[in-house]
Amino acid sequence: MYSRLKFLGVASVALMLLAACGSSGNTPAAKTYKIGLVTDTGGLNDKSFNHLAYLGLQKAVTDFGIKGDVIESKTQDDYVPNLTNFATKGYDLVVGNGFFMQVSIGTVAGQFPNVKFAIIDGAGTDAKFNDLKLPNVMGLVFKEQEPGALVGVIAAMMEKTGKAPKNTHVISAVGGVSIPPVNHYLAGYKWAAVMEDPSAKVIIGYSNDFNDPAKCKGIAQSQIGKGAEFVFQVAGGCGVGALQAAGQAKVWSFGVDADQKDVDPSVAASALKKVDVAVYTAIKSVVKGSFVSGGNTFSLQNDGVGYQVDNLTLPADVKAEVDSVAAKIKAGTLTPPADIPPPV
Amino acid sequence: MAVPVGSVVFAFVVGGLIVAATGGNPFAAYQGLVCGGFGLACTGGENPALQISNTIVFLTPLITSGVAVALPFRAGLFNIGAEGQLLVGAIASTVIGVKFGGLPGPILLPLALLGGMVAGAVWAGIAGVLKATIGAHEVVTTIMLNYIAQWLLRYLIVGGPLQAPNGFSASAPIAPAARLATILPQDPTLVIFGLPASVFRLHYGLLIALVAAAIFAFLLWRTSLGYEIRAVGQSQRAARYAGVSVRRTIIVTMLIAGAFSGLAGAIQIVGVDHGLLDKYFTDTTGFDAIAVALLGLGSATGIVLASILFGALHAGGSVMQSDAGISGSLVQVLQALILFSIAANFLRMFRLRLPTIGRARPTPADAVRDVRAP
Amino acid sequence: MTGISDILHLLTTADLWHATLAAAILLLLPALGGVISERSGVVNIAMEGMMLTGAFFAVVADLAWHNPWLAALVAMVAGGLMALIHAVVSIRFRADQIVSGIAINIFAAGLTLYLVNRIYGIEDVGHVGQSALLPSIDIPIIDQIPFVGHVFSNQNVVVYVALILLVVIQIVLFRTRLGLRIRAVGEHPQAADTAGINVYAIRYGAVITSGLLSGLSGAFLAIGVSNTFVPNMTDGRGYIALAAVIFGKWRPLGAFVACLIFGLGQAIYDNNSFIHISQYFLSMLPYILTLIVLAGVVGRSIPPAADGIPYSPGTE
Repeated sequence: MYSRLKFLGVASVALMLLAACGSSGNTPAAKTYKIGLVTDTGGLNDKSFNHLAYLGLQKAVTDFGIKGDVIESKTQDDYVPNLTNFATKGYDLVVGNGFFMQVSIGTVAGQFPNVKFAIIDGAGTDAKFNDLKLPNVMGLVFKEQEPGALVGVIAAMMEKTGKAPKNTHVISAVGGVSIPPVNHYLAGYKWAAVMEDPSAKVIIGYSNDFNDPAKCKGIAQSQIGKGAEFVFQVAGGCGVGALQAAGQAKVWSFGVDADQKDVDPSVAASALKKVDVAVYTAIKSVVKGSFVSGGNTFSLQNDGVGYQVDNLTLPADVKAEVDSVAAKIKAGTLTPPADIPPPV
Repeated sequence: MAVPVGSVVFAFVVGGLIVAATGGNPFAAYQGLVCGGFGLACTGGENPALQISNTIVFLTPLITSGVAVALPFRAGLFNIGAEGQLLVGAIASTVIGVKFGGLPGPILLPLALLGGMVAGAVWAGIAGVLKATIGAHEVVTTIMLNYIAQWLLRYLIVGGPLQAPNGFSASAPIAPAARLATILPQDPTLVIFGLPASVFRLHYGLLIALVAAAIFAFLLWRTSLGYEIRAVGQSQRAARYAGVSVRRTIIVTMLIAGAFSGLAGAIQIVGVDHGLLDKYFTDTTGFDAIAVALLGLGSATGIVLASILFGALHAGGSVMQSDAGISGSLVQVLQALILFSIAANFLRMFRLRLPTIGRARPTPADAVRDVRAP
Repeated sequence: MTGISDILHLLTTADLWHATLAAAILLLLPALGGVISERSGVVNIAMEGMMLTGAFFAVVADLAWHNPWLAALVAMVAGGLMALIHAVVSIRFRADQIVSGIAINIFAAGLTLYLVNRIYGIEDVGHVGQSALLPSIDIPIIDQIPFVGHVFSNQNVVVYVALILLVVIQIVLFRTRLGLRIRAVGEHPQAADTAGINVYAIRYGAVITSGLLSGLSGAFLAIGVSNTFVPNMTDGRGYIALAAVIFGKWRPLGAFVACLIFGLGQAIYDNNSFIHISQYFLSMLPYILTLIVLAGVVGRSIPPAADGIPYSPGTE
């Protein structure tokens, strides 16, 4: 039995050898830049950051005449093979989308020092999540707490100045999973709301889901039942349900990442995380020869995050306060916290 | 052999029509698929050896979890719970690999694998005991156990006791001594097949899985337990008359099946992931295993072949998307079409050729029907 | 302990039961389909795929025509067509019904995602306007009753349709000639055939009905509860519905009880912002509860005798 198994091992290696011999040699890359985007398991139609990353890639294709290809990861087992796929094919830049890809980026970038990598929401790390600080990895991280804070100001100011539907002084948020990119938003939101309106109560729930709108809708409804008049969704495709729950209950909601004005009439404003800008910036740096490794933080200061007023016409005093807080955050006199206590 | 091959061809023809009907180029799509799965006919600059390595990494867990579905089928039980059993196997294996990291490799690695098998066996055993004693249907219990395992995992690694100190929704990595060696040395300076050797993730888990498949075949056809399992699958009443304890057989079958599934989870941990990742929130190996077991007609060889096909399709989907711009979702469409055509053809052939034997080999659907209590 | 009192308090609120009913109905429709199909002798584990297909085509149709009724009809037809595949493969070709069911689920997941990519591409799936959603309606008189009114009124129109279907299907299956025939075909197709019942026709009808019901549930999810399609948005509901069918011993009312347990679990989880219990334990609760109820109360599940056996005249 043992010898037979050993044979199988040898045979599989031999098979690989055979296949390698049969391959045609790699042709050197022409001077068209090749950029590869690897999405996380949400896929391109996630109504969230994968979609935005794709928009950034498309814009770069138009502007720079690059070749932009994308692979959607079906499972997280695909991260390493998909990143490696682009790397072995001599792509100039491989963009990994998402916090969950940090270790995979760290692994693959270490193996391909001549290929440049960029990762949204993280860095190239080892298995213990320590940044490897590889010279060919650009980390694109966002201060989500800043746009979170700005929509928090809107909600609290509406409550404080008596312009909310019932002035319950209760607002809420629905998070996807308790991970940093989600919690940053929630931390900023809660911090700003309590700062503006000390009597405000901020309810936070988690759906543990990014795909099922019914789940987020249910959570939002229970929060609205407790008096919430502004519901902030931080749960991608699931969160669409939260926006809808707000609309049906005639209260307001906030969209996340992209401008979600069209999702539901209840969307008062959207907290923007410009993943498209980040991806575009990374590609541009490669095309212009200005690629710098290490972390790139996108914040209000460099217009990498922001807010967009949607279906609510902001009263002048509310608008003034939001802009004032934004200015203070930009100037560094106000610093929203990045974390909140984990859920039980 | 003709039927499975014919079915695959049929599936690809229909899949090609779907691609063409929606404005894609089926030939480009399939070229990408074949390149990604088998390293053949690559035009985009893929490394063929790497593609084969990827396919093997994907197919390895399918073999053992496929066995975990196929074995209970033989006893007339439908184990939808391979996924949950795989998850608890992965959890146990990680706990051992992290908490007993000080042990030397020759002890720690087998312990991590064994731990995964025991955990999987216990998880499936719950369903087995409930079935044998109360008659609770295993389809319901294993689905419930899947969800419970899923949430247990989330609890453990999202802010729970196993979460890595620095990380989020991931456990600390298992000790290096607990890891399964890759077949090629993990040396980035060594260049093999034109790439750094460390790029090839192909690991010895493949051999473990093949041994597991061989054990499955041996157990089923060469042992008295195997006979009992098949007897129970054919007719519980007849098995009882023959002196087989139906209750015991059901429980033992589920225990063994769970061990196979737990092994799949453990191999993923010690061979590829080296720790619990949030990927297990969305893992579908245990469900793919059902398709693999059915496609492989419940035999060890069939399961290995079906795993190769599914592993190759999985690896091929990515290349198809990067090279031909066709969404990797087409892979699922093809998998389904292959299943349809094999199922439809298989039974027809079965009936034409073996009319007298009738139900000598129980079909999986018998599992759902034949649940007369012991 | 506060967690338990939180839950006990929740149980006294009408809001919770309102949400429970809505969540249960999403499961009940495919479960009813499963009951009918399996009563006729065709194992159906394809509800997940039929529901997902229904959800997708409901959104496609609603975005195109802005008519929720038409969209719901399209969803039912789409679910029905998926069921037709299952029927042809497993009845006409006598294929293994579990293989076919699994294939339908994989097929639907792949096809919907593939079509999302092909049809909407970079534009992403759009959102249906409020006026083109399946509406929630108030029921006169009932909405005046204090607690009950709050639970049963202002539910989506599909909820009422499903409740009516529940009663109708329970009666048809156990009190009418048609029901007797369906059950006869599922218990002993040879005898039924001898008695002049068209086994194939009954089975085709039953399987297709399960597709129509699952498709309707998909429409409810996509353009009633939600207003768009998100890949894999059915999130395993078809499998839970399957569990409900067996839990309920292949009876509509029994399945409804199981759906209520899962719906209650979902509704309680929705309140995780206020309950002082680990949200993960809270999520496990309905599944643990089902195991306990199954072990303690329900016990043995015996399906229809011919469930899963393809029928070919003249055998046996």
